[in-house]
Amino acid sequence: MPPLNPIDAPEAPAERPLALRGLTLQGRPLALGPGRQWTSVEELRRESPAALPASRPDVELPREVTRRGFLQLLGASTAAAGLEGCWRMPQGTIVPYHDRPVGVTPGEPTHYATTVLRDGLGVGLLVTAYEGRPTKIEGNPEHPASLGATSVYEQGLLRTLYDPLRAREVKERGVPRAPESFEGALRERIGRLLPKKGAGLWFLLEPSSSPLQAELWRRLLAALPEARLASWGPSSDAASHDGTRLAFGRPLAARLDLSKADVVVALDAELLADDVPAARAFADRRVPQGRMNRLYAVEPRLSVTGTMADHRLRLRPSEVGPFALALLAAVAKRAGGAPAELQSALHAQLGAAVAPGFVDAVAADLVLHRGASLVAAGRGQPPAVHAAAHAINALLGNLGVTVTLAEPVLLDPASGMGALAELIRAADAGKVDTLIAACDNPALFAPGDLDVVGSLGRVPFSAYLGAYEDETAQRTTWFVPRAHPMEGWGDARAFDGTASIAQPLLDPLFGGRSIEQLLARCTGELRPVHELLHDFWRTASPSADFELAWKEWLQRGVVPGTAAPAVAAAPDWASIARTLAAAPPAQSGRLEIAFYRDLRLLDGREAHNGWLQELPDPVTKQTWGNAALVGPTTADALGIQSGDVLLLELAGARARLPAYVLPGHADGAVSVALGYGGEDFAQGAPLPGTNVAPLRTVAAPWLSAGLTLTKSGEREELAVTQEHWRMEGRPLAESATLAEYRAGIPGRGTFPEQHGPQPSEYAPIPYPGYAWGMAIDLARCTGCSACVVACASENNTPVVGKEQLIRGREMHWLRLDRYFEGPAEDPSSIAMPVMCVQCEDAPCEYVCPVNATVHSDEGLNEMVYNRCVGTRYCSNNCPYKVRRFNFLDFGYEKDPIEQMLPNPDVTVRSRGVMEKCTYCVQRIERARIATRIEGRLIRDGEIQTACQGACPTRAIAFGTLSDPEAEVSRLHADPRAYFLLHVLGTRPRTAHLARIKNENPALRKA
Amino acid sequence: MRALFPPWTNTAFRVALFLGVVGAIAALAYLMIYARSPYHTNEHRPVIQPIQFDHRHHVADDGIDCRYCHQTAWSSPSAGIPSTSLCLNCHSQIWNKSPLLDPLRAAYFTGEPIRWRRVHRLPDYVYFDHSIHVAKGVGCESCHGRVDEMPAVEMAAPLSMKWCLDCHRDPTPRIRPREAITQLGWTPSEDPGLLAAKLAIRYQLHTRTSCTTCHR
Repeated sequence: MPPLNPIDAPEAPAERPLALRGLTLQGRPLALGPGRQWTSVEELRRESPAALPASRPDVELPREVTRRGFLQLLGASTAAAGLEGCWRMPQGTIVPYHDRPVGVTPGEPTHYATTVLRDGLGVGLLVTAYEGRPTKIEGNPEHPASLGATSVYEQGLLRTLYDPLRAREVKERGVPRAPESFEGALRERIGRLLPKKGAGLWFLLEPSSSPLQAELWRRLLAALPEARLASWGPSSDAASHDGTRLAFGRPLAARLDLSKADVVVALDAELLADDVPAARAFADRRVPQGRMNRLYAVEPRLSVTGTMADHRLRLRPSEVGPFALALLAAVAKRAGGAPAELQSALHAQLGAAVAPGFVDAVAADLVLHRGASLVAAGRGQPPAVHAAAHAINALLGNLGVTVTLAEPVLLDPASGMGALAELIRAADAGKVDTLIAACDNPALFAPGDLDVVGSLGRVPFSAYLGAYEDETAQRTTWFVPRAHPMEGWGDARAFDGTASIAQPLLDPLFGGRSIEQLLARCTGELRPVHELLHDFWRTASPSADFELAWKEWLQRGVVPGTAAPAVAAAPDWASIARTLAAAPPAQSGRLEIAFYRDLRLLDGREAHNGWLQELPDPVTKQTWGNAALVGPTTADALGIQSGDVLLLELAGARARLPAYVLPGHADGAVSVALGYGGEDFAQGAPLPGTNVAPLRTVAAPWLSAGLTLTKSGEREELAVTQEHWRMEGRPLAESATLAEYRAGIPGRGTFPEQHGPQPSEYAPIPYPGYAWGMAIDLARCTGCSACVVACASENNTPVVGKEQLIRGREMHWLRLDRYFEGPAEDPSSIAMPVMCVQCEDAPCEYVCPVNATVHSDEGLNEMVYNRCVGTRYCSNNCPYKVRRFNFLDFGYEKDPIEQMLPNPDVTVRSRGVMEKCTYCVQRIERARIATRIEGRLIRDGEIQTACQGACPTRAIAFGTLSDPEAEVSRLHADPRAYFLLHVLGTRPRTAHLARIKNENPALRKA
Repeated sequence: MRALFPPWTNTAFRVALFLGVVGAIAALAYLMIYARSPYHTNEHRPVIQPIQFDHRHHVADDGIDCRYCHQTAWSSPSAGIPSTSLCLNCHSQIWNKSPLLDPLRAAYFTGEPIRWRRVHRLPDYVYFDHSIHVAKGVGCESCHGRVDEMPAVEMAAPLSMKWCLDCHRDPTPRIRPREAITQLGWTPSEDPGLLAAKLAIRYQLHTRTSCTTCHR
C-alpha cells in the first residue's frame, strides 16, 4: 500500500446522536449531568448500544450439554464434594525463629523508612514488612517528594522485588561464573588501567543524585583522572537543564511551586501525573470554596495534565514552540518592561502566532496574575521552549515565587543523549578499552542513529549491571545481576535537595549488587556499602552525637536541613533572544511524531512488572503494550481505525505497531510511548509492545517531522479496558463550571436531588457504632492510577495477562473510568475512580444463594470468600459493575519467591470466587483491635485505605459517618457531593464530589 | 400369562425404597457428623513433637508462666512459638547434658530452626487475633484446655466456626479477670454470674459476629 497522505483531511464528521440518550428508570432520567459522556471514538460513533462489545467479562458457555450429561456431572461433583469429608484437617509445621530479632513480633508488621530513585531523584517511602518480608509500600509523609503518597512506579516496586525471573547469575560471555570472579576480573582490569591513569575507562550510569555516589566518583577520578563518567537515561529530562542554561547562563534546577500559582500554563508538560508535590499543591487549589487556580494545557497528545486542564489547546508537537514564543511576545507586550534585545527578537514572532485568540486570552490572564502564575515546559519540548517559559516567568515576576531556581541536584545534570553519543564515538574510534554500564538497556533504548550493539562489540572489556538479562547483557563481556532498590544501602537527594538514606529491607534475593557497590570495588574499596555510607555521612556532617542523628535519619527517612538553597539568577536576555531567534518554526505539511515517556514503565525498566503492564494507562486505558496514538480527524483522513497495524517510517528507521484513535490528539501527528518492546530472555518470549527508540535520533530525541504511515493491512487486538464494565452511557462523572456552581443550579455542581432518602420496602437499619464511608473528590482526582496499583498490592488482586484482559477479566477492584464529553476532535475529559460503593441496600446481597455477601453491623458490604460458590449472580445484579470473578487460578502459588508478595492479612482467592473492594476491611479490623486494647475509639484519619494512602492529591477520604466532625462527613455534606445512581435507591456509602472547572470567560465555548 | 414380577418383588421394592431413602439420609448425616467429630477436627489427639517437650513438667512442676514462652499473645495476632535461644536460656544451665535435648542443642549450634509439629491450625481464610482475646479476659485455658496436664499437647476444642460463634454470641461464661488469664484451673472466687457481668462492663465486651471480624 502507498504511504498515506494526511494533509488533505476532510471536514470532521458531525457527531451523531446516540440512542442511549434519555435512558430512564421509573420515568426519571438516569442521565443527570450536562451532556453525554463517552469512552472511545468507537462508542461515540456507534449507532446503537447493541453494536458495542459486551461490557461484562466474556464467559464460555458449555455447548452441546444434554440434560442427561448435566445430571451426570452434577451427581459426580456432589459425590466428589462428599469425599472431602474423608480425610482429616491437614496439620503442618511451625518453624519459629532460631533467635527472634529485636523489634520483630511475628504477626505484627514493622515499618521502615527508605528511599528509591526516580529519574535519579530521591523519593521517600515507608515500607511495611512482616517478619522481614516487605509486603506494602507507602509514601513517607516527612519526605518532600512523597508527602505520604506515591506514584504508580513506587507502588509497583514490590512486584519486581519478588519477580522470580530477575537475573541471578554472574555471566561472562553468556557462561555462568562464580559471583566473585567478576570482582577478580574487575580488579585486574582496573590494575592494568592505573598506569594509564584510567584512559579508556568509561562508566555509563543511570542518572543519580546520591551524595555517596558523588564521593565515589570523586575518589575514582582522583585515582584514575582520565576515566570518563557519564550518565544517561533513555527519557531523562535533559531539555530542562539545557533550557536553564540558555535562559540563565548555567544549568540550574527549576522547582515549581503550584501552591502559589493562580494561573498555570503547561506547555506539553506532564505536571500532575507522577509528581506528587506538584499534584498535591495543584489539587489543594481546586476546591471551589477556596481561591481556585486555572490550568491551561497546550499539548499534542491528551495527557493527564490535559484532562485536568480548564482550557486545553491541542497543537502539533512542533507548534508548541511557536506557541510559546507567541505567548512570550503577547506577555511582553501586555506586561511591558521587556528588554530591548528581547523586543526585537520577538517582533518577528507576533505575526506568525498560532491560535492567536487563545494566546491573547492566556497572556491577559497571566499578566493579570503577575507574580502568581507559572509557565512550565515538558521534557519532550526542545530547550528553546524551556527558555521561552523561563522568559515568560521572568517577565511576570514569577521567579522566586512560583518558580525557584537552585543548583542542580543530579550529579550529571545533562544526562542526555549527548553523553551516550560521545561514548559511542569513542568506542568506534577504539578509545574505549573498558566500559562499565549500569543504566537502562542502552542496546535496546538508544536512539536509532547510535549503533550501540556494534560499538559494544568493539569494547574489549564491558560489564553491565542489570536487573534482567536483556539485550545489553547479551552484548557485553560480563553481566552482573543488579540489586533491587529494596535490597541495598544508598542515599539520594530529592528534587529540592533534601537528602535521605536508603536502607535495605532484605538481603539481595538473587545475589544482586548495587551501583554503589560496583563503584566502590572500582576504587579498590572492599568494605560493605553500609560502612562506606555511614563513614561518608559522618565526615559530611560531623557532630558529637552522630550515631544518634544517623538513627534518627534512618527512622524518619530524611536528613533534616539538607534542602538546597534557592539561587538568585538573572535571565540572560541576550542568550534568550539568540535562542528564540534561532528557534525552529512550526513544521507544516509533514506528518509529525512525538515520543513520550510511559507513566507506568518509565524508561522501560518496569517492562517485566505485571502490575504496571496491566495497569490501564490513565488516558488511553491501554494495557500490555503501546500504540501509535492518532487523532480522530487524521485517522479518518487516513482511513485508520484503532487496532490497524501501521508501519511507521522516519528517515529510514521503521517500527510496526497498532494504531489507537485517541480523542483530543492533535491532527497531523502521531504519539508513541517509549519503553516498550524487547525480549524477555529468561522466558524466551517477546515483551509486550514495540520499541520505538530506533525512530529517535540524538539531535531530535522527542519530536520529528516527516513520518510516513503505511497500513500493513493486518489487525491487532488492543488490550484496552475502556469499554469493560462501562456504565452504559450514563453520565456519572459530574462536572460544572465555577460560574454554574456559584449560581447554585441543581445538577450543575450542586446536587440536592442526588441525596436523601429513596423509597424502600425495607425498614431502615440503624448503625449505632462506626458507619464507614468514603468520599472521592473528582476535582482533586487526576486519574493518575496510583490507587489502582496500591489496591492490587494491598488486596492481593492477581495479574491476569493480556489474553484474559481482552476478554474483560481484569481483576482490579478499583477502576478508573475516564469519560470524554463533547466532540471527538477536542473533547473535555474527566476521570472517576469507582470501586464498591458499599450500598446500604445492596442489590448483590439479595441475590446471593449462599449468603456469601452480607451486610456488617457497620454498613460494610462484606464478601466472604470461603462461602462463595461462584454463581456470579451478585456481579450480574451490581449496577456499579465493581465485582470481579476469578475465572481461573490467577494466584501467586507458582513460585516460592512470588509467594512472598501477598499481604498476609488478606485471603488469596482461588478460582471460582467472587471478590470486590471492602474498604480495606483488614486495616479496619487491625485498627479496631489496637484501639479496643487501648480502650478508645478509632480516631478520624487513623485508618487509611490503600487507595487513599497512595493518592498524590488526597482525592479520597475515608472514615466513619457517625462522627460529624470527620473529614468524610464534611465531604458528604458538601454541595458538590452526589451518589452514583442515586435513583436506584441503593444508598451508597461512597459519595463522589463533582469536578468544578474554572473557565476563563474570554475562552468560553459558545 | 405369567406375571413378569412375582409377588415378593413388591416387598423387595418396598425394602429397597426404604433403604434407599434411609441410606441417603444416613450418608448425609454421617458426613455432617463426621465433619464435626474429633476424628476430623483432630481434637484430643496428642501430637508427638521432634523434641519430647512436656508441658506438664514445665507448667505444673516448674510453674513457668505461659507468657515466658508465648508472650506475643499479648501484643500480636500470633501467640508465637519460642525461639531456640529462649529454650537455651534455661537449658544452657540445667539438663545441658541430657540426651533428650540433643536435637535442641544441635538446632542451636547449627542455626537451623526446629520444625515443631502444628497442633492448632485455622484455615487460611480465618484471621484470629490472640491479643484482643487476652485483653478482653479470655483465659488461655478457655481454648487450649489444661495444658498443664498434657504430656504432649492436644487440641481441647474443635476450633469450628460454631464453637467460635458460641462464645462470640455469649462470651460471659468464658471471661475471667485479666490477672488470671494464664492461671490454669482457675475458679471464680465469687458468684460466677455476677463476676462475669462486672467484667463485661469493666472490659467493655463487645463481641462481633460480622463475617469480616474473622474472614477478610
